[in-house]
Amino acid sequence: MADVKALLGQFEAMAADPKALMDRYIAEGKKVVGCFPPYTPEELVHAAGMVPMGLWGGQVTPSVAGKYNPIFTCSLMRSCMELGMTGAYEGLSAVIMPMLCDTYRGMAGAWRVGVPGVPLIAFIHPQNRTDPGARDYLAAEYRTVAERLEKMTGAQVTEEALQKSIDVYNDHAAAMLDFCRAANEHLDVVGPVARHAVMKSARFAEKAEHAALVRQLVEQLDALPRHAWKGKKLVLTGITAEPDSLLEMFTAHGIAVVADDLAQESRQYRTPVPAGKDGFDRLAGQWQGRQGCSMVHETRAERGQMLVDMAKETGADGVAVCLMRFCDVEEYDFPYISRDVEAAGMPCLCLEIDQSTQNNQQNGTKIQSFVEM
Amino acid sequence: MAETAPKPKRELPKSRQMVNEMTAKVYADAWEAKRRGEPVAWSTAIFPLEVPETFGINVLYPENNAAAVSAKHYGDGLIAHAEGALRYPINICSYARLNLGMADKLRDAAFDGADPLMPLPDLLFLANNSCTQLMKWYENLARDLDIPIFFVDCLYRYDEGELEPHRIAYGRGQIEKLIADLEVFLGKKFDWDRFLEVQKRAQINTKLFDECVALNSTKPSPMDGFDLFSYMAPQVICRGKEITTAIFEQWKAETLERIASGTTTFRGEEKYRVHWEGIACWPNLSYNLKTLSSYGINAVINGYVTAWSLHYEPGDLDGMARAYQTASTNSLSTQAIMDKRSKTIEDYACDGMLCHVNRSCKLMTFHIFVGREMIEEKNGVPVANFDGDQSDGRVFSEAQFETRLQAMTEIMAERKRTEGVK
Repeated sequence: MADVKALLGQFEAMAADPKALMDRYIAEGKKVVGCFPPYTPEELVHAAGMVPMGLWGGQVTPSVAGKYNPIFTCSLMRSCMELGMTGAYEGLSAVIMPMLCDTYRGMAGAWRVGVPGVPLIAFIHPQNRTDPGARDYLAAEYRTVAERLEKMTGAQVTEEALQKSIDVYNDHAAAMLDFCRAANEHLDVVGPVARHAVMKSARFAEKAEHAALVRQLVEQLDALPRHAWKGKKLVLTGITAEPDSLLEMFTAHGIAVVADDLAQESRQYRTPVPAGKDGFDRLAGQWQGRQGCSMVHETRAERGQMLVDMAKETGADGVAVCLMRFCDVEEYDFPYISRDVEAAGMPCLCLEIDQSTQNNQQNGTKIQSFVEM
Repeated sequence: MAETAPKPKRELPKSRQMVNEMTAKVYADAWEAKRRGEPVAWSTAIFPLEVPETFGINVLYPENNAAAVSAKHYGDGLIAHAEGALRYPINICSYARLNLGMADKLRDAAFDGADPLMPLPDLLFLANNSCTQLMKWYENLARDLDIPIFFVDCLYRYDEGELEPHRIAYGRGQIEKLIADLEVFLGKKFDWDRFLEVQKRAQINTKLFDECVALNSTKPSPMDGFDLFSYMAPQVICRGKEITTAIFEQWKAETLERIASGTTTFRGEEKYRVHWEGIACWPNLSYNLKTLSSYGINAVINGYVTAWSLHYEPGDLDGMARAYQTASTNSLSTQAIMDKRSKTIEDYACDGMLCHVNRSCKLMTFHIFVGREMIEEKNGVPVANFDGDQSDGRVFSEAQFETRLQAMTEIMAERKRTEGVK
């Protein structure tokens, strides 16, 4: 048990201070590239011999971001802008930004003028994925990302390196899914905060290093006797479920997180990169396979049913929608997913996620009501 | 205070009457088609309508409808229904809230709580060149109404410069697939000869529309700039029809006549000319117009009306794909948009730029926040922001609008005094 706690402590440290991790990589002579969430193909950066690190904002009260971000900018992006403008991302060789929503369309321009010291590489996914040209388009678009990365950093993305990087990422994704399985068998040890730390740290750490650490953790967990959780169980959906003080409320009310559909967490791992001879085409194939995400167009979106199925499979008592403040794509999905969950006879909580405040009072009241139901 | 007789309403110019008649006919035709059991489509505003026009499908445009409903002050109830019973958060686009509210209310055939009402659609046409929210909005319509979406994904252009070949190939392929899919859905062969004619007609109309708009660069202007909003409907909903040619020819003739006679539809003396950035505040249009007029400000041009400048060579599908990916400035980078705005401000001899920080449109607002410095630096004109919304009347404040206008007017006046700006 001591080993498990020590390992979890390592994940928590990485998740809590990505800047320290970035400084470490740079001190080791590596170049680091910031990857805006959630679907920047980190494998391209990895194949160029650099370290991709996710940019997920942080709990920060914006003081300067308002110059280029309207007040109704998605909370996560506003934090990123604030951190960028105040120098937290200094040291990054570049950032890569996927144009997945209207905020990103605006952020690209805002970043260029607000954070001129960190060059931007933007790209856009095809949303009409049933069109036969979509995959070819995206493979070509990824090639332009690689070319711009090469031009900006002097690194090279070879086919051989890309294939190896995809293997590293697929292997890491498998390790993370196995962690989710093991965590559910030990909900007494892997509480909501610890589960989140393992998931979030993966967005920052070098993947081979992280996968090795996750496998150690899983091994330790598997050595423990299985635990039968007596409290309530929840499935989380949304972009992120933060800060830790929110997750601590779950713990305080005896609620375990048994599955998630969070962009920062399981959405990263549930769609492996398919096999193939061309690395760029393989990465495009992963996008084609993504399902149940607010940022991915589906003619018959089944996210509601997917959440119901997740809850049934894990024995969850309900679903919590962690609604990122001013995230319009998630806001459009909320009505139907909440209706679908309720139609299946389960409660659907709506919790507001706002990186600019630590005040979780309203969320606390909703969690309390859920427990009392 | 002595009572004054109400001012007689000005008679609309013939071209405006023609616009109103055309719009009424499009709605009447769609209702009639619905009654006959023919498919009716709802479409986003900058969809390659040349394709449905060739098939002879009756198409209505929810964005255009939302603007009309809001201007007639029928929007509040529908928006409230979307936010209440339907659970849509207040932060999403008010056109979407209004339309999703209407779509649900229309399930009751007796519903008559808004005007104009559209018949429920049997299919949806989606192009996301205005924004990403359109895609989410239409996903909800498709799910709620259990109808198909025919989608042309128009990629956002984050950099400046020419479109790369892979973007053109994807765009062209989608138009070809749209045609093939509709042939299956409708059980009808596509008439490529008619398609060419519709494309030619759309180009004639687009050229005429651009010419009419450009006439307002004349100083003083022959039109109140807000008139441009009123002439958008033919270009948005009937771009491929001959009636639009007749309307625009009439509009052009009337405008040339005004230029020749030195008259204008602007009420009062045109002291200042400004560029209006963003969509109109439809529920507050009349207040905005009166207030601007009272300060002698003519919003001679705006960035919204130019979104339908869809130029391509008829028969050239690559060119058509390029046009639909780049016509709306919402599809372009902030730098590219502001380069266009800067040129317009120069061409129309604007003294300032008045920006609608539209609560519904994050995209346009972002560009204003980032772009205002570019305009101030490049054109040296004052830029003022005010808060509002395209359909949700709760956001706009008359007091704030006037205060911002006053401050802007003072700067424009000062520049005229000290810098000799004419």
